Amino acid sequence: MNKMRVLDVGLVSPLRSQAIYHGVAYAMTPETPDTIILVGPTDPYVCIGYHQELEKEVDMDYCRAQNLPVYRREVGGGAVYLDRGQVFTQWIFQRDRLPATLEKRFALYIQPLVETYRSLGIDATLRPINDVHVRGKKIGGTGAAQIGDADVVVGSLMFDFNFELMAQVLKVPSEKMRDKIYQSLQEYMTTMTRELGETPDYDRVKRIYLDHCAQALGAELELAEPTPQELAVTAEVEERLGSDEWLHQKGGLRQSDAVKIHADVYLGEGVHKAPGGLIRATARVREDRIDDLTLSGDFTMIPAFAVGALEQALRGVKLEEEAIAPKVAEFYRALSVQSPGVAVEDWVSAVMGVEGQM
Amino acid sequence: MTVYYGCHIPEDLYYHPRYDSWVRFEDNDVATLGMTDIAQTQAGKLIHVRFKRVGRTIKAGKFAATIESGKWIGPFVMPFDAEIIVTNEERFRQDILIANKDPYGEGWMVRARVLDPEGARRELITGEEAVRFYQKKIEENEIRCFRCAE
Repeated sequence: MNKMRVLDVGLVSPLRSQAIYHGVAYAMTPETPDTIILVGPTDPYVCIGYHQELEKEVDMDYCRAQNLPVYRREVGGGAVYLDRGQVFTQWIFQRDRLPATLEKRFALYIQPLVETYRSLGIDATLRPINDVHVRGKKIGGTGAAQIGDADVVVGSLMFDFNFELMAQVLKVPSEKMRDKIYQSLQEYMTTMTRELGETPDYDRVKRIYLDHCAQALGAELELAEPTPQELAVTAEVEERLGSDEWLHQKGGLRQSDAVKIHADVYLGEGVHKAPGGLIRATARVREDRIDDLTLSGDFTMIPAFAVGALEQALRGVKLEEEAIAPKVAEFYRALSVQSPGVAVEDWVSAVMGVEGQM
Repeated sequence: MTVYYGCHIPEDLYYHPRYDSWVRFEDNDVATLGMTDIAQTQAGKLIHVRFKRVGRTIKAGKFAATIESGKWIGPFVMPFDAEIIVTNEERFRQDILIANKDPYGEGWMVRARVLDPEGARRELITGEEAVRFYQKKIEENEIRCFRCAE
């Protein structure tokens, strides 16, 4: 039977909890066995994606005030707050050992996570391509990368998650947006602790997870320690990941400014300057429809309740101009709304600004 | 041009089988490089690209750019020692999906001065050999290529 290695590293410094899988990947030789690392951080920290620009993504004043370190990983995705509530499950495989298509690669990686949750009585399923959902709520994220000569897939066993701090550490254009992120995380994310009413025993869950890994991979798993070479490379990686130069490097050519909550749910903010004032539209978009909307700014609208009514009227509407414009026009007619210097097309522009971010 | 399960494999290009990149030799020591149709399909829709600076000499096996899709991140590897003359950054800035739409044309990645043109060709495959290699890869991994339409 195929043999694979497990490095159950336990709790390590925040920096090492990221550096370890980079180190094992960069140290990989043709003789290195495929490896699963289980690791968690002793203390909380913030981790940003490879191509993110630190100052645009993270509220550094807040992080400094809270003594929260920030590290950049060599895996993509967004900024995330991490702590002891998660056990990271990191697969470092020889290239071409995992399925070539990402869909199948993630399906294989996610299978033992789903089965572990199900063994605990949590109704988890794979939400292709790379989410794990429990009745529409996401329970942890995953990502894939090629690091050095290794194929890497990372994710976590989500024991618990601090939704409030996650919303706090992000740099957002407005506090309204932060509130929405917090509400959306509450609505669209879950954890083992939430599902079970208590936090399950870490060692028991890790054992169940490794059993399911062995089955999914058709492999015999052997507990081992990182080699001296891997530890040496990990130390080198720590030096780089901990450097200011690495942390502050410029972002890539980015396409999206929206905050992704899970595969179907995004948050964005559109700003439009109308003759009658500034309109800020903060929206949650679920499966391409407006799921929740807040309109704010220094415009005037009479009657006063009309702003809330317009927010309501646009819920469930497809995020496209042809769908929004008639809804807003109908709303103006039905409620005899007056908004000096703000016309139907101004609302449409503000709301469609959200689409421009996605 | 061979098209196999939707994957385009132009016979006139050179390919590095491990890195899934294509190479077009413009003249003896200048080459244009990009992602193959298979590589762009496997990555999925790109959301970020970061290029190494023009003028940098990249060793064989080291990356000339990093590529991020919604699901994956990885290097765009230089298959031979070469100096970057120009990158396609401006085109990617206009349209980040350009390699997903036109991987062998407008979606090229970098143009480079190849330090050892003869040695470089030895690492690459082309023509019928390349077609056979990719057909096998496509079959074994059940790959179906897709392009972004817009």
